Amino acid sequence: MKLLNVYRSEPADDVKKLVDIVSDGCETNSFDLNVEAPDYDKLVDMVTDADKTICWW
Amino acid sequence: MSKKVCFMYPSSEYIFDGVRSALGLAVENMYAYGVVMKNEIDEINDYNKENIEWMRDMEGDVYSIPEGNVEKHGLTKMTLEELGQKLKEMDVIVPYGIMRSTED
Amino acid sequence: MAKSIGIFVTSPQNMRHVMGVTKAAIAKGSKVKVFFTWTGVHLTKCADFPSLCALDNVDVSICADSYKRNGYDVTDIPKGLTSKEMATQAQHGAIIEDYDCYLTL
Repeated sequence: MKLLNVYRSEPADDVKKLVDIVSDGCETNSFDLNVEAPDYDKLVDMVTDADKTICWW
Repeated sequence: MSKKVCFMYPSSEYIFDGVRSALGLAVENMYAYGVVMKNEIDEINDYNKENIEWMRDMEGDVYSIPEGNVEKHGLTKMTLEELGQKLKEMDVIVPYGIMRSTED
Repeated sequence: MAKSIGIFVTSPQNMRHVMGVTKAAIAKGSKVKVFFTWTGVHLTKCADFPSLCALDNVDVSICADSYKRNGYDVTDIPKGLTSKEMATQAQHGAIIEDYDCYLTL
C-alpha cells in the first residue's frame, strides 16, 4: 500500500511514533505543509498517487 | 463494506465535538472510533455521555491514552502503540483540530 | 479521468492550504468537495472563502451546528453559500464514500 504522510506542523514525538507504526510494511512518502510556499501541485499529485493520506497536525 | 474511521483528539477543545463528528459517521453506517490523546477530562455532561454510549452501541468506541479518563469516565484504555496498530486497520484517519503544544 | 478529492477542514488555521490544494486539484481536472466543521467554520469569515465557493467543480458546505456553537447566527449564511450548504456531518460521510482521495486540514 502507498501511504502519504502530510505534516501541517513539526511532528511531535507521539506523532513520529505513530507514523513509524502505520508506515511499517507500506511504501511511504511524506510532504511538509509547514513551509512558506508549499508546492500544492506536487501535493495533489502525491495525494492522487497514494492509496491513503494522513494529514497529521 | 462499511468503512473504518479513527479520529484523534489532540487538545481539550476538540474532544467532544470530535466525538459528535465521529458519531455522525457511525449513523452513516461506518465504524467510527475516537481517541483522546493527551488531556484529562474534568467532566462529561449528559449530552456527551449519550454520544459516547451511542457510538458504543453502533460498534464504535471512545478510547483514552491518559489513564485518568479510563478510571474517572470509563473511556476505554489504549496505549500509543495500540493506537498505532489500530490505525493500520483504518480506511480513514482523522487527526482532528489543532495540536496545542502548551497542553503537552 | 482525474481522481476526486474530499477535504475535511477541522482547523481554523489552514485557509491557504485549502485554497492551494483546491486550486491545484481543479487545475488537474479533479472534482473537489470541502466540508468545514467545528472551529474550521471560522474560515467562512476569511476574504478568500467566497472565491473558494465560486470555483467550478468545487462543492463547499459547512456544519451548521458547529457554526452556531462557535457563536454565529445560522440565518447569517456566509457569503458564497446557500441555506442547503449549511449542512450536517453527513457531508463528511459523503466525502468518505464518494470521493477517491481524502485530506484533513
